[in-house]
Amino acid sequence: MAQIAELGRRIELVSMDPHCHDITIGLYRDVADQAVEFTAFSYSRREGAVERVGFVNQAMKVLGGLEASPDAPDRLRFPCGQDHRRAVQRLFMDACKIASSTPLEPRAMNIFDKKSQLTMIATSEGGGRYRVTSDGTGPEAERRIDAVTRGLVRLAELESLETGAASFPCGYTHDRLVGLLLKRALNVRVAMREAEAAAARGIMAAPSQQQAP
Amino acid sequence: MTTHPAETMSSRERVIAALRRQPVDRTAVCNPTSVATVELMDMVEAPFPVANRDPELMAALALTGHTELGFDSVMPVFSIIQESSALGCNMQWEQKDNWPTVRMREPIWKDVDDIRIPNDFLAHPDMRCVTDAIVMLRRQLGDEVAIIGKTMGPWTLGYHCFGVEPFLLMSLDDQAKTKLALERMKEATILFGQAQIDAGADALTLPDHATGDLVSADYYLRYLKDLHIEFAERLSVPLILHICGRTVDRMGYIAETGMAAFHFDSKNKPAESMEAVDGRIALIGNINNPETLFAKGPEEVRAEVYANLEAGVQAIGPECAIPLQTPIENLTEIVRAVRDWHAARAH
Repeated sequence: MAQIAELGRRIELVSMDPHCHDITIGLYRDVADQAVEFTAFSYSRREGAVERVGFVNQAMKVLGGLEASPDAPDRLRFPCGQDHRRAVQRLFMDACKIASSTPLEPRAMNIFDKKSQLTMIATSEGGGRYRVTSDGTGPEAERRIDAVTRGLVRLAELESLETGAASFPCGYTHDRLVGLLLKRALNVRVAMREAEAAAARGIMAAPSQQQAP
Repeated sequence: MTTHPAETMSSRERVIAALRRQPVDRTAVCNPTSVATVELMDMVEAPFPVANRDPELMAALALTGHTELGFDSVMPVFSIIQESSALGCNMQWEQKDNWPTVRMREPIWKDVDDIRIPNDFLAHPDMRCVTDAIVMLRRQLGDEVAIIGKTMGPWTLGYHCFGVEPFLLMSLDDQAKTKLALERMKEATILFGQAQIDAGADALTLPDHATGDLVSADYYLRYLKDLHIEFAERLSVPLILHICGRTVDRMGYIAETGMAAFHFDSKNKPAESMEAVDGRIALIGNINNPETLFAKGPEEVRAEVYANLEAGVQAIGPECAIPLQTPIENLTEIVRAVRDWHAARAH
């Protein structure tokens, strides 16, 4: 008997969750009442799988600012009702990296940058607009502010404004999401490579195309 | 709402008729290669790598291809390494989300005189896993669903056991030695194929990776065509030859082997492939894996299904073993698209 769940389209996958018996958890996207909604789901019936998915949902709320859908508590949406696809994919993957025993709290909107030895700070200016500054000055500080801003633009599909500023197209504030993404924005190439490597697993290659183990 | 015409054939009847190029009630949806995914593994608690080594898990995971995805066939031999494991190759079994592979940088044979098929080849646990799984599936499915087994061809076994580069160099330097090597290795193909037929397989996929990027059409003619003719003569079920990559240059030769079908890659367009085989062999395929099934959505899957149907391809399915992270909705779309296409033409 078919067990396939009707959840919309799958937009991200964690194929082996190390915190729960290597279960696979998918993130699905659907539209309800003109709002984009997301559902984390696993087909696993192993002990703890339901609780684990519940934790991932909670982590996405706390770290990314998602809210439960009014009609279905397992479905989540941004307050703006928009997609923010790349950001929610990153949010989901990061949520799945956290052990269920870890207390959850929103990430700060500032982070120490090893490359410059400065603290990078993201500040909301309202209307979805964010400005990146640092606690230092000089060419290195400016270079890193620019890099971090471009990183946020790439990770969250923001609109670039003047140097050091970017905004969410929806015009809504997304402080928790920015706090989460700030760490990745310090080195966005690593984040992208990680995502590409995860996606490349599980593709069978003909013997002549295989990389040697 | 689309009304679908009533289906008058069982899935098994449909696949066998397709392989024989006989009339069908609707085009078969068939997987000569794996449609296992990590989500299906979770559904039946049959993860890799153990689902490649335990017959009950192998059968359970294979069954989802019909019960969950709606395919007309099940194919339990997900990987391409069972024989190589039994021949003594060093294996990398990997994890749930990756394919087991042969350590081809650690070849077990250096020369043609090293080739040896062990007396207990079929009794090796990785071989018994397959035959036992087929027995279980036949018992569960009765006459309703086609069971497709898989036996690797000698070119692929050559890559696995000699290493890709040494084997290719041998084929360049010493034609007689290469032919002798293939002749000796072909017995593994026959033995494993027959064992699966005896277990209840309705058809066999025969992957032989003389792929277009490294092996020319001339090489296919020189080294493999006669062997493939022999396989078609000696194995008593329909054979489905599988070769990855751009192969339209050799499809004419393949069509002369007596094999029932050729499972073709998306690098070959459906219409040009049908023209190349000219009705002498059935085609199965050729929905693209890495771009379409894995990375795009149902609309793109449907478009490729329709292109195959419009070209007259006899059975529709993915072009090769699907990526383990393929979304289920893209796989179920294949069956939906085939049914809708036929429904539109019935009215």
